[in-house]
Amino acid sequence: MRISPAPVLRFLGLRLLSSAIVLLGVIVVVFALVHLVPGDPVRLALGTRYSPEAYQALREASGLDRPLLVQFFSYVGNALTGNLGVSFRNGGTVTDILLGRLPATVSLALVGIVIALVIALPAGIWSALREGRVSDIIVRLTSQLGVSVPDFWLGMLLITLFSSVLRVLPSSGYAPAGEDPLGWLQHVILPGLTVGLIAGAIMTRYIRAAVVDVAGAGFVRTAVSKGLPGRIVTFRHILRNALVPVLTIAGIQLATILGGVIVVEVVFAWPGLGRLVYDSVAARDYPVIQGAILLIAAMFLLINLIVDVLYALVDPRIRLA
Amino acid sequence: MNRRIPLLATAAAVALALAGCTTGTGVDLGGSSSGATFVAAIGGEPDQLDPHKTSSYFSFEVLENVFDTLVQPDDQLQMEPALATSWETSDDQLTWTFHLRDDVTFQDGSAFTAADVVYSYERIIDENLSNAWKFSSVASVTASDDTTVVITLTQPTPNLLSNLGGFKGMAIVQKKNVEDGDIATAPIGTGPYQLTEYVAGDHITLTANPDYWGGAPKIETIEYKFISEPATALAALKSGEIQWTDVVPPQQVDSLEDDSSISVGVTPSSDYWYLALNEAKAPWNDVKVRQAIAYAIDRTAIIQAVSYGTAQANQLAIPEASAWYTEYDTYPQTADLDTAKQLLAEAGYTGGTLDMLATSDYPETVTAAQIIASNLEPLGITVNIRQPDFSTWLDEQNSGNFDMLMMGWLGNIDPDDFYYAQHHTDGSSNAQKYSNAEVDAFLDAGRVETDQDKRKDDYAQAAKIIADEASYIYLYNPAVIQIWSPKLEGYEARADRAIRFKDASLAK
Repeated sequence: MRISPAPVLRFLGLRLLSSAIVLLGVIVVVFALVHLVPGDPVRLALGTRYSPEAYQALREASGLDRPLLVQFFSYVGNALTGNLGVSFRNGGTVTDILLGRLPATVSLALVGIVIALVIALPAGIWSALREGRVSDIIVRLTSQLGVSVPDFWLGMLLITLFSSVLRVLPSSGYAPAGEDPLGWLQHVILPGLTVGLIAGAIMTRYIRAAVVDVAGAGFVRTAVSKGLPGRIVTFRHILRNALVPVLTIAGIQLATILGGVIVVEVVFAWPGLGRLVYDSVAARDYPVIQGAILLIAAMFLLINLIVDVLYALVDPRIRLA
Repeated sequence: MNRRIPLLATAAAVALALAGCTTGTGVDLGGSSSGATFVAAIGGEPDQLDPHKTSSYFSFEVLENVFDTLVQPDDQLQMEPALATSWETSDDQLTWTFHLRDDVTFQDGSAFTAADVVYSYERIIDENLSNAWKFSSVASVTASDDTTVVITLTQPTPNLLSNLGGFKGMAIVQKKNVEDGDIATAPIGTGPYQLTEYVAGDHITLTANPDYWGGAPKIETIEYKFISEPATALAALKSGEIQWTDVVPPQQVDSLEDDSSISVGVTPSSDYWYLALNEAKAPWNDVKVRQAIAYAIDRTAIIQAVSYGTAQANQLAIPEASAWYTEYDTYPQTADLDTAKQLLAEAGYTGGTLDMLATSDYPETVTAAQIIASNLEPLGITVNIRQPDFSTWLDEQNSGNFDMLMMGWLGNIDPDDFYYAQHHTDGSSNAQKYSNAEVDAFLDAGRVETDQDKRKDDYAQAAKIIADEASYIYLYNPAVIQIWSPKLEGYEARADRAIRFKDASLAK
């Protein structure tokens, strides 16, 4: 099977173009949302007692006195050059603030997705191949439980067990993996488990469904009836064909974790993007909120793009279509 | 194409190996091994560390230990010497001369002089920073020599000391630190601790300043962590990862007080919460209608609901711990509907609706509003509760678009802060439009009275009339709640919420 580069490149180009359009839409929506939400950041920054002069001075310094359209176009123009503005709260550049938080969130998301895959791949496949048996029912019930558990509750449970009772793991905080690998590992386990167990439960159900689906297909029956050994049917026919839906759900879960671990990051005092968004919303720090949402959207699109490319590699029908 | 399966298998194996590492690893929990490091958990990350620009309490929890002011509040919230050792006022009360310590250095080793005081105050005034209003009566700040600062005023200002030293928002900063642009993240002060590390999102480390003018602090290193989830903070305190936190839900105070492994500090703060009725509107302009509401509300129930009983009931603003406290208990602690109904009858009020302005940004206002609504129902008053965000709330208050509101004033020290702006006819925060010539006279007298006892009496008189006429219906002083390890000695929770670790020590 020879892969010609031309269709793949064309496929990639189209996907990139559509991603750019989606990103532009995200900028418009986020900008509008953030500025339409009630609450005056200047007033919040000043507290309850201040002079009108102080109010005006801060308003001008933060550019909020300009017409909304002017603010929007200058924002888009700057964003295209990587300048996402300056935080209202501390005057730091948003790009630096976001980049500073990225390693914590990405490392937590990767640990979470690895734990999820380690659980979901064997459990989902095993359960599907034993459809209807006791082991299948146990996996399905357990994963249903995992899907239903709120993440903050699971986090508190793990803290109580491992930090308060057993005292083997720190309850919260962070150490950069580059400087203190062991410290990082100790700190990432509990939030990683919280994220991973829940994502794992969700993925188990999807993987099981995908494998069950493929296992019932006509070509599998053909393979079995022409006398191929069960192991070959399982690996070559069933699992390979179940790979596309598995990739989809893994990609979506990874993207969800990257953008959506706000609660887990708050519970574990994990200095990532989610925690940043939480703090910035409370302070109406528009530039940081906009930048963070933009970054999360961009990561979401990037992962989707990677998943699309992987589809094309896994399934030739997709890249030729 | 078959090689992809082994790849997947390898990935799974690596993942399994990683997961294997995650259990059974012997763990050295922070704090126990690093000896003198003291870890304090605060509820969130400071927005910035420039004391003149931040309004975040999280910032001041750190900066309290990094900066100094000319004077500072003592345990009774009376102003005591700090960077200034003494001061005198001219006969006309318009010139204050401060004598400064001559043995003070900034944490980078440079000398502290009167020029730094002038620079700091002029920065707040000239740049119109949020605390500029504290200098509203200041005409000029000059240094007559290295250890003398002269402040001239446009009118006598007896609360000048609490304006200058009430909190670290009035800190003396270093010009170079400001002009370098470092002050927001690497501030340099004259205080007992210097900031040595700031990892955004994770922690701030302070190190003892051995040259501190008040003597080197005993605890060598303080690390501030940002934990906003109370259950996490409590778990961290119990496991010894942190030694101090104020991230404590009030409902847990009772059970924590029974726990011998934790020291609990609960003290009424100088903050206060109140109700105010809009006197620009009928029927609330009738003093009897306002008094009826003051009699009808169930203060005990409100305090229980908003604070689980940790707040201190107070029918005036100033807390018991303050030297300016006045006793006053005209109104009942639980609802007295008979008196309320009688007052309404005398006023000729037969019932109607009341537009109550609460705000979702301060949940206690919403909780209390619900209780008040049921308290007033038997009087024929239907309470409609609104709960916009705080900046909308401020707009509504300032444009007089409310019948009753509930809010708190935070961080006041001098009685003038507690009463003048809120109740003087010309007060800048008199949103309820209260006006009483007698109260105005007492409040004006308090502003120029130099005899402490007479001044205290002026404010006591004013406060009683204010409460009698229900300009504000005072409810309570909320508690400062902090918990710490019993190993922490020499530390007390303060009414002004200042977190001072200068005199604390850690037992082995």
